[in-house]
Amino acid sequence: MKQYITRRLLEMIPVLIGISILIFAIFQLAPGDPVSTMVDPKASAAAKAKLREQMHLNEPMLVQYKYWATDILKGNWGESFYFKQPVKKVINSYIWNSFYLSLASFLLSAALSIPIGVLSATRQYSKFDYIFTVFALIGISMPSFFFGLLLIKWFAVDIKLFPVSGMTVPGSTATGFALFQDVMHHMTLPLVVLTLGSLAGLMRYTRSSMLEVIRQDYIRTARAKGLREKVVIYKHGLRNALIPVVTIFGMSLPGLFSGAIITEQIFNWPGIGPIGLQAVNTRDYTLLMGINMLLAALTLLGNLIADITYALVDPRIRFK
Amino acid sequence: MEIVRENRIEQKKEKILGPWQLAWIRLKRNRLAMVGLYVLIFMVSISILGPIISPYKMETIDLANISAPPSIAHPLGTDEVGRDILTRVMYAGRISLSVGIVAVFISVVIGSMIGAVSGYYSGIIDAIIMRIVDIFMCFPFLPLLLMIAAVMSDYKINPDYRIYVVMLIIGILSWPGLARIIRGQILSLREQEFIQAAEALGLRDRRKIFRHLLPNTFGSIIVSSTLGVGNAILTESVLSFLGLGVTPPTPSWGNMVNAVTDAYVFQFHPWRWMPPGICIFITVMAINLLGDGLRDAFDSKLKR
Amino acid sequence: MEKLLEIKNLKTYFYTDEGIVKAVDDVSLKINKGETMCIVGESGCGKSITAMSILRLIPNPPGRIEGGEIVFEGRDLLKLSEEEVRSIRGNEISMIFQEPMTSLNPVFTIGNQIIEAIMLHQNLSKKAAVEKAVEVLKLVGIPRADEIINAYPHELSGGMRQRVMIAMAMVCNPKLLIADEPTTALDVTIQAQILDLMRKLKEDTKTSIMLITHDLGVVAEMADYISVMYSGKIVEEAKVLELFKNPLHPYTSGLLASKPQIHIDKEKLYAIPGQVPSSFDLPKGCYFYPRCERAMDICEQCAPKLKQIHDGHYVACHLYGGEENE
Repeated sequence: MKQYITRRLLEMIPVLIGISILIFAIFQLAPGDPVSTMVDPKASAAAKAKLREQMHLNEPMLVQYKYWATDILKGNWGESFYFKQPVKKVINSYIWNSFYLSLASFLLSAALSIPIGVLSATRQYSKFDYIFTVFALIGISMPSFFFGLLLIKWFAVDIKLFPVSGMTVPGSTATGFALFQDVMHHMTLPLVVLTLGSLAGLMRYTRSSMLEVIRQDYIRTARAKGLREKVVIYKHGLRNALIPVVTIFGMSLPGLFSGAIITEQIFNWPGIGPIGLQAVNTRDYTLLMGINMLLAALTLLGNLIADITYALVDPRIRFK
Repeated sequence: MEIVRENRIEQKKEKILGPWQLAWIRLKRNRLAMVGLYVLIFMVSISILGPIISPYKMETIDLANISAPPSIAHPLGTDEVGRDILTRVMYAGRISLSVGIVAVFISVVIGSMIGAVSGYYSGIIDAIIMRIVDIFMCFPFLPLLLMIAAVMSDYKINPDYRIYVVMLIIGILSWPGLARIIRGQILSLREQEFIQAAEALGLRDRRKIFRHLLPNTFGSIIVSSTLGVGNAILTESVLSFLGLGVTPPTPSWGNMVNAVTDAYVFQFHPWRWMPPGICIFITVMAINLLGDGLRDAFDSKLKR
Repeated sequence: MEKLLEIKNLKTYFYTDEGIVKAVDDVSLKINKGETMCIVGESGCGKSITAMSILRLIPNPPGRIEGGEIVFEGRDLLKLSEEEVRSIRGNEISMIFQEPMTSLNPVFTIGNQIIEAIMLHQNLSKKAAVEKAVEVLKLVGIPRADEIINAYPHELSGGMRQRVMIAMAMVCNPKLLIADEPTTALDVTIQAQILDLMRKLKEDTKTSIMLITHDLGVVAEMADYISVMYSGKIVEEAKVLELFKNPLHPYTSGLLASKPQIHIDKEKLYAIPGQVPSSFDLPKGCYFYPRCERAMDICEQCAPKLKQIHDGHYVACHLYGGEENE
């Protein structure tokens, strides 16, 4: 097990390097002089030249990459030009809001998708299966920004059941339970949008995994033993069907930090999404590079967690 | 006597359906998939024919009817400069559909070639290609896309050409998934007798890959590219909605929904932003229904 | 001899995209107590479906048992409730399958899977069940049974897994063991071991065995009685010696002729010409007619019925007269 994790960690290194090269390269493609966007246009040529020197912009590309990569490794992620604050601080102050929203949606969709997926599979081609197949396809096909807009229009603007945007009532000083209530109230609509999107995929995935499993020989063996259909499905079937599903859960962990960009933007939820989009619009490249590097690293970590959970739930992997 | 017997055996040859015919028969029996197909045909044909039939042009301005609600002259109303929404929605359909199709075409060409080469040669080439695929797959898709789109929009490209940039970005970013699928299939196909027979014939690699191996993966290519078109349309709509994709005056369904940035329009002129949004949903839904049906139709394990 | 199980006019059909497949078409057969009955036939002839029908394990849809009776110790299994059938499965009638590699659940230990069967059908404490599981594993010749009980299926070889399957099937002392090609997926040497084991268990426990195979070598070694199946129908049945000595149906003779024999020097191995007919497009008369070397005009027109030719030797072929089997 230890060996397995070590090997996987070592395998991550070249991928991480590749990702950093890719990110660096994309920003090198950006036209224009980074210095001129960073300083006052009226600044003297000498000041600009000094800044260029400081940022190693006169060096060859490869050397520049080396400086940048070392800085990232040292934890020196630079300063956001828009927030006038260290990138790390900016990310840290917004990312947790994203996390709460995504976590709530993740738990909700996991709790709903597994039972629905299993029932759909065991009653393949039934009315239940049809309804949820269509429902899942609606979830996959609905553009989240449009769905969010519709919900805001109907439930926030027209009947004023929920707030239009934000995470709390502006200027609220509530704490404790009152704060929790306020946040939940604001969270409801974005939660619905996010959950519809992820629920659909997970449901379909559980369904097809379960369908695959109930065709297996060992399910026939379990039936031939005289086990009840419920035991056959929920003990022998589900335990196997969940193996790939657990992997998907692991892989969606990094999405907890990044998956809600559009939804957050629509509902003006103060998370990493609106910040990232703002950075896109203001061309705040240091912040963008930081966010992307972090998200990529989290994705790798998520894949690793997925692999480990896979090994934990599947005895065939454990001993290899 | 011998001859008669031979004939008897000969006659009993059963009618054998090709995999395509079989898939089509199965697809036709899938009601949801057929609904998807018909809706899709409908959306495509009004996008192509609609603007030709419509009395208005994309940029025709009707100053007498500015921000007018739906009426007989303008079934879906007009926008803030008096352009007919229905006509623009149909034009936008051309744009959004062609972005989807071209982007997927790009990703299929790249993905299937790289997947096939990787699966066929295995070894070091495969290892390197798969690591590159890993790198692409490790990126959260949307942040990467936004980043590239932002950098690209700094190039101040003529809005008329923006659409090609969008196609290219989406196409180039979506090949790795397909490459992985194709590689897996080629790996298992390579072990089968018919390719060993091709090996024995001394065929050249290129011929083996493109004439013998890849055609056997067409089923999965068709399924994943159908679903891919839906995803590409969704992606384009997000980009355009955020102002990073197709930009006005060229209409696309996504940038038409962007009208909601005006809070007044959002609340009181729903005809300005709901129709294009609904079009995205219906088109993508139809594609997904069809794609789902195709997957079942090509999956021989799912015989009913 | 006393009858244990009797199948009368069983019909199991599958409803597929391409049409109805009559996988088991009017099959009747019986198994006596303490006997080994073999069903022989090419793949796809309906022998496994017959076996699955006995335990009502036909997946529905697409399959359905459309008619007939399966009388086990005086009860028609087809008329029992699902609950009653379950109490028979794995208890009075148990089954082992062709694929030992995939027939055990990969995520549970061997012990867990055997104990599950014991606890289901016998009123034993968990501890007693564990002891019983170890005991039955020893019985089927698994070394270090008390360790293997905690092993996962993937840690065992194919032969060992098939022993585990047999242990699991035998643990409740069934009256009938249905073995569906139990050795096909195994190496030849392992095959012999498994067959030996089954023979020994049969001697010790007086369990009847219904053995399904396409391997005539296995038949010769194991069977007391043989039924030959072709395209969902029984074409011939007899005691094992009688059938090997005096095969009547051209299909049976063909099968026997296509078995390689060491002492006889033949240039080419015999093969029955043609192929098994498609289940959707069966000939009107005798199903074997298109491939039959001794076909007559009548064979094209009407299907022959199963008739008794000698004592206990039945055949369905127009070449022979004899009294009709009711």
